[in-house]
Amino acid sequence: MTKQKISTVSAVMLTLSIVVSYITSSLPRTFINETKSATLLNIIYITMIVLFIILLFCKLLKKFPGLDLLDISKFLGGNTLRNIVGTLFIAYFIISSSIMLRNFCEGLVVVYYPLTNYIFIILMFIISIALTNRLGFQSTINTASIVFPLVLISAILLFCGNLDNFSFRKIYPVLGDGAYNTFVLGLKNIGAFGGICYLYFLPPMLKEPEKLKKIAIISVISTGFFILLCVGTLLFMFSFFTTTDEIMPLFSAARHIEFGTFFQRFESVFLLIWIISFCCYLSISCKFATHIFNKMLNLSDMRPILNIFIILIFAISLLPKNYAVSNFVETHIYRYLRIAVGFILGMTILILANFKKRKVGDKH
Amino acid sequence: MININNILTKIVILVLVIIFISSFSASYNTLNLDNSAFVVALGVDKSEADKLELTFEFLATSPSGESVSETKPVLNSVQCSSITNGINIMNSYLGKKVNLSHCKLIIFSEELASEGISNEVYSLVNEVQIRPSANIVVSKCNTKYYIENSIPSLESLIPRYYDIFPNTSKYTGYTCDATIGDFFNALICNYCDPYAILGGTTNSENESSQSNSSDDSTIKSSESPITGNRLSQNIGLAVFNDDKLAGELNAIETICFLSIKKEVDNFLVSIPSPNDSNSKIDIYLTPNSTHNINVSLVNGSPYIKLKLDFSGKIYSMTRNSEYLDINILNSISDSCNNYLESQFSSYLYKTSTVFESDINELGSYCLSNFLTTSDFNNYNWLDNYKNATFDVEINTVIDSGFLLTQT
Amino acid sequence: MKIKKFITNIFNYYPNHTHQFSLPNNANSFQNTQNENNTEKKIFTSLDINLDYIKTKYNLLINSDIVTREFILNARGKQYKALLLHIDGMVDSQILNDFVLEPLMMRNKNNLFDGEQNRVISEAVTNNITVRKVKKFNLADYIENRLIPQNNIKQENTFEEIFSGVNSGNCALFIDTLDIAFDIDIKGFKQRSIDKPENEVVIKGPHEAFVENIRTNTSLLRRFTNNENLIIESLEIGDITKTKCAVCYMQNIVNEDLVAEVKYRVNNLNIDSLLSAGQLEQLISDNNSLGLPKAISTERPDNAVQHLLEGRVIILVNGSPFAVIVPAIMIDFLTSPEDRNLKSIFANFLRTIRLISAFFALLLPGLYVSVTSFHIEILPTELLYSILAARESVPFPVIFEIIIMEISFEIIREASLRVPSAIGSTIGIVGALVIGQAAVSAGIVSPILIIIVAITALSSFAIPDYSFSFHLRLFRFLFILLGYIAGFLGIGTGLFIYISMICDMESFGVSYSIPYSSMEQLKNTGLILPPIWKREFRASYLATKKEKKQKDISMKWKTQ
Repeated sequence: MTKQKISTVSAVMLTLSIVVSYITSSLPRTFINETKSATLLNIIYITMIVLFIILLFCKLLKKFPGLDLLDISKFLGGNTLRNIVGTLFIAYFIISSSIMLRNFCEGLVVVYYPLTNYIFIILMFIISIALTNRLGFQSTINTASIVFPLVLISAILLFCGNLDNFSFRKIYPVLGDGAYNTFVLGLKNIGAFGGICYLYFLPPMLKEPEKLKKIAIISVISTGFFILLCVGTLLFMFSFFTTTDEIMPLFSAARHIEFGTFFQRFESVFLLIWIISFCCYLSISCKFATHIFNKMLNLSDMRPILNIFIILIFAISLLPKNYAVSNFVETHIYRYLRIAVGFILGMTILILANFKKRKVGDKH
Repeated sequence: MININNILTKIVILVLVIIFISSFSASYNTLNLDNSAFVVALGVDKSEADKLELTFEFLATSPSGESVSETKPVLNSVQCSSITNGINIMNSYLGKKVNLSHCKLIIFSEELASEGISNEVYSLVNEVQIRPSANIVVSKCNTKYYIENSIPSLESLIPRYYDIFPNTSKYTGYTCDATIGDFFNALICNYCDPYAILGGTTNSENESSQSNSSDDSTIKSSESPITGNRLSQNIGLAVFNDDKLAGELNAIETICFLSIKKEVDNFLVSIPSPNDSNSKIDIYLTPNSTHNINVSLVNGSPYIKLKLDFSGKIYSMTRNSEYLDINILNSISDSCNNYLESQFSSYLYKTSTVFESDINELGSYCLSNFLTTSDFNNYNWLDNYKNATFDVEINTVIDSGFLLTQT
Repeated sequence: MKIKKFITNIFNYYPNHTHQFSLPNNANSFQNTQNENNTEKKIFTSLDINLDYIKTKYNLLINSDIVTREFILNARGKQYKALLLHIDGMVDSQILNDFVLEPLMMRNKNNLFDGEQNRVISEAVTNNITVRKVKKFNLADYIENRLIPQNNIKQENTFEEIFSGVNSGNCALFIDTLDIAFDIDIKGFKQRSIDKPENEVVIKGPHEAFVENIRTNTSLLRRFTNNENLIIESLEIGDITKTKCAVCYMQNIVNEDLVAEVKYRVNNLNIDSLLSAGQLEQLISDNNSLGLPKAISTERPDNAVQHLLEGRVIILVNGSPFAVIVPAIMIDFLTSPEDRNLKSIFANFLRTIRLISAFFALLLPGLYVSVTSFHIEILPTELLYSILAARESVPFPVIFEIIIMEISFEIIREASLRVPSAIGSTIGIVGALVIGQAAVSAGIVSPILIIIVAITALSSFAIPDYSFSFHLRLFRFLFILLGYIAGFLGIGTGLFIYISMICDMESFGVSYSIPYSSMEQLKNTGLILPPIWKREFRASYLATKKEKKQKDISMKWKTQ
């Protein structure tokens, strides 16, 4: 499918670009709301756990070099299982991107386009990904690696620009809502590392497949760092996310940045960067969905089906009646979907396939 | 790519552009430069009949349009039941959309503030356009009168004056850069209380109050010895307990507040001379970064230990002064320590027992004593703060004088 | 039915016909071993072996401007086979014919003279034994001294020295049975017809430009390269015009796939006529809807040779004073030939300035429109009031104002190009400013807007490449429209599509956005120009045969 393959750094950028979209929507707020002042502890804890899972994942994948989850599920349960898994993942990618899109656009409506119907804002994104998805996979990868550094700079600027407003004592009380909340209920936040499940489909596309382990570890650690940076900014700055909600939490942090009297209120520049990176995320999701579909049906050319996926995303994002519904879906349903599909489904298949491989190996 | 040359594709692109222009034009019309009236200061006052009186300050640009200096302030007031309604009425009066994105100053009257302003602050913060860095002022007089008289004496552009006057707190410590963002933050948080700049005007009747203050540093707005072109002044701090105005701080108390918060770079104090109790020495102090604040709980009430370090230079110079002698410097340091300790303690006890308000966020130092948020919430810091005991330790190092070292 | 066709167009499957070609990403540096050990090759005595050697070295089968002339040489009444080697365009054919070939080939007094008369220098007879001091006959000296009436002639015995002479415009004479060759100076460049470059002016660099004659241009390349590895292949394009074109590359550096691809594209052009390099550039580059240039065109031979030595391919078209260089990536269009002559900090500074000006030229008016329509809070209050005061008497909305100004500026620029002399353009720009001033005082546009338009225009002038600045000028209008429609949302989505499209583009198999997008360990991508002693590597995206272009320590004098 791709002429050129993905280099190691680009792969890391790819997984990170996914996280950016979570961060700019409600993720940091959910984090702080649920774990209060122990958020940073919770993030570090979760990063550790995900790191452990990902090491396991790499170990399991070692027996299937250069194969992705589809190939593995074909090995495990034939074409039927492969198609089921493929469909699940396609559904996951499409539903997740449409929910994120809806919520992001609702935020935009509130912030900048008060009298514009959200449909048109969604349409704007849809058109942009419809145009770019006709281009090659390489273009998406390259775009992600151009855009992500910008996002990283914006996050660092956000952190540094607000240093004056920080009160580092807000990490106390250490345990937040208590150990149970932080370490057991806080496990729900593992969904923040949803970008990891894109790794399942990376191995055949990598330039150096043996570096998958390196990619996975770097991605997890930098994702953790990135979340830490953004959530830390919010936690240190505001006392109110523990009790109140704002529609786009990072946006409100961006409003506080000031350098002298000239550079004030440039939150819209941050928004510009986030819009670009959000487009990037949508495009990546769409590309992966079509890639899986393509692989399932062995199509030689996937361009004709691209529009169908894009129209699907558009339609699903219009389904929720209002922001309350879409926000409920995102914070209460979608996160479990992330965990279920991203971690449980993938890992189960890998573990079972490993058992089968061992069995087959014994027979021979 | 879709074939661009296809005529139908062209038509579709054209249709899309038209759809987008028409769908976004409503937002465009409300936000665009030509349709907006920019507020530079917003006054919220109480009118008769329990209504709000909003005062908007706009700047009218001169038609010649060549230079910015020809802007004139225009004041419009409206009585209304809520801020949003008031803005709406003003929209229809002006024929333009009121835009708060460049509002630098939000003024509440003392009367309204003492009744509680949380509703107003919430609805202002809810507004997308308002900037969190807009300064919040509690005016001792009518807000309209305050805005009318806030005409900068040196600059011609009012917004610039609004931008820079809170910055004087960095080197005088007489006022504070209190913003609405901080105010809202403190309003919600459960271990701190909000504060605002204390504004006022010199009334002609009040001029007798000049002599009331025996000390230069106990001045505050409306009670200061300043006379000038401009009647408004911003000295001191308005302290809130939750959303209600609890009291006022004068200049030296504001200095104490700022130095605990580490928001002042340097300031001037007059301390009694160690030799002669009648004369005073002016000292220019710079807070060191090694502030040490420790909060522990003793028998359920907070015991707060503050250790503050300053380094200073002697400003005042008289005949026969000798500022190179270590003994003299030490005695001045001691005198300075004593003076500051008494000032800090009186400030802290004033806020804790009289105002019952923790504007210094001392509660945040207490957070580490608790393991979980619910423990802290159960303790209810703000209620216990009035029982707090303070132990202030000031350590001042006076190095030298300025140009003249010996006379 | 067209609607049906349109819908089927969108949803129907139609196979992908795009021609795809990509360069391998890592250079295979082991290819070049055979070329490395050719130092100090002695000249053979057999003319045929020499000829074969020359053929392989100069690739005579494909190299178009290398001329070998075999003939019979008469010397002292005997006849020898001989061979002349020279480069067309670099020698003066008049001199070659009259003073080299004629004395050697024609029967005349000199070469008929058999020399027997003068052989004996002295003779002494003792005891009937005649001792004769006989001058040993040396054919080489004889030819040098008697037969070639040339002022500068040298005998060389290695190919290397002979080739270096030939490359710089001399002619080499090989004679059967001799293990030396003559290096005869008959240089004849068209020196005077070469002009100063008009469009790419540099201060510290050669002041020579290509001319219309392709032979002169190839000779310029030869002279700068001075190496037999430069291959110049001749092709004819156009059924009617049969325009001569030359594909030039360094045989030991360039990637062969690239050369094959270029030749494949150039050879497969079914056109009646080819009149300029600009046409060729469009004909051979991959199509793109952004209209970005995909080949560098330069009028400077030194610049062309620089690219040649980097491992790129140059195409010359007869009748065009421009060389087309492929592949070209985005950063090349922000690079000026002057950069290499400057210290690297200044060059990098200039490069950053150009990058910023590209950003301004593309986005500044669009950003202005979107800020004034949707994001007013980003303006500092003082600036806001200046804009408000300036717009007080302007009757138009910002979008209309900016479109009027941008279009009238483009008209002025286009009109000034039609004014014959080069001064015309300066007058045009000044005229634009004057018109701007008048428009301001008439209250049609605001002075702030004039500043915006002026900065945009200046920025587009700062782009070194003409066609690249064209692209920026056109797409600026798109961003103005997007900024007007939806503010930063429009600009953001537009920018995303724009970046994606640039990332998708390839120029002769090289990703167009390389230094910005590719996060691989690429060497010498051109993003930052290292100091001159650190430029060890050739650009690795070109996958050249030789990875390094200088030794690790290039300034050897420092280490001793």
